[in-house]
Amino acid sequence: MQELVRAAQEGDPLALAALLRALAPYVGRICGAIALDDGDDAMQETMIRVLGGIRSLREPAALHGWVRRIAVREAVRLARERRVQIPVERLPERADDGPDLRTEVGETLRQLSPEQRAILVLRDLEGFTEAEAAALLRVEVGTVKSRLHRARRAFRRRWQA
Amino acid sequence: MSGWPTARLDPVRQLRVLAEVLPGVGLVERVLDAPYQRVWSFLADLERSAPAFDPMVRWLRILDREGERLTVAARAPLWPVPIRFEVELRDGWCLMRSRTYLVGMAAAPLSERTRYAHLEGLPWRGAPGLRALRPVFRRVAAADVDGITRTLASS
Repeated sequence: MQELVRAAQEGDPLALAALLRALAPYVGRICGAIALDDGDDAMQETMIRVLGGIRSLREPAALHGWVRRIAVREAVRLARERRVQIPVERLPERADDGPDLRTEVGETLRQLSPEQRAILVLRDLEGFTEAEAAALLRVEVGTVKSRLHRARRAFRRRWQA
Repeated sequence: MSGWPTARLDPVRQLRVLAEVLPGVGLVERVLDAPYQRVWSFLADLERSAPAFDPMVRWLRILDREGERLTVAARAPLWPVPIRFEVELRDGWCLMRSRTYLVGMAAAPLSERTRYAHLEGLPWRGAPGLRALRPVFRRVAAADVDGITRTLASS
């Protein structure tokens, strides 16, 4: 991967395309979970910023942390701009017959704010501590705690329904 | 991790990203009135398709092929020697890079039609003034998409 980053930094279009493909599953997971229906657009904006700024990455080993920061911020920004949030009380009941896990998770995420989804992704998918998530999102640790509490409560309600 | 929504970039969006990042290229996107399989089976046959839709290609030959990586030589009418391209070719995606030129083709199905993106330009990032060439290469790309449309309609 480091060799690929260096080739991309030199501007080789084939290396830029290969780097885009290599990062796609990781970026797609972050942007999809935070920006939901706008995930593809958030991913496209993230990739433009990542490949456009790749020369500024001094240490190729820091690639994933750098990409994660850009992806989370772009996804939150875009989702906030196009915010569609369903109030908890209007969320449909979970179907009893053969629940589709993807639909269930997607519908539960939809009732959260983009910032809450970002904290869930960082804590539960990426394994960040609350302090690390707060630093990345540029908010107080207490804000992370309260948003995380509300996000997890929404999941519990849905799954216990 | 299963169940979490996942975003993805189809080949057309991937080419859009490259076009944003490379200053000296032009990109044209269109919907072609032909099914994806027909469009891509035509375009992926580089030796046949490139000379058919692009008047700047007299012939194109595949010199070497290893999986998705190809080396090809193409002859332009006004250039004295063939130009060597490194190529990445897979379903819906073709990126051809010589030392001085870049061509990209990307396609994705759209019901019975095809979303298509075509990129032409210079494969460099650092040189000054490259952005000024974007409209020129957009016209070049548009002419090639016109050629692809005509060729598909007549075959």
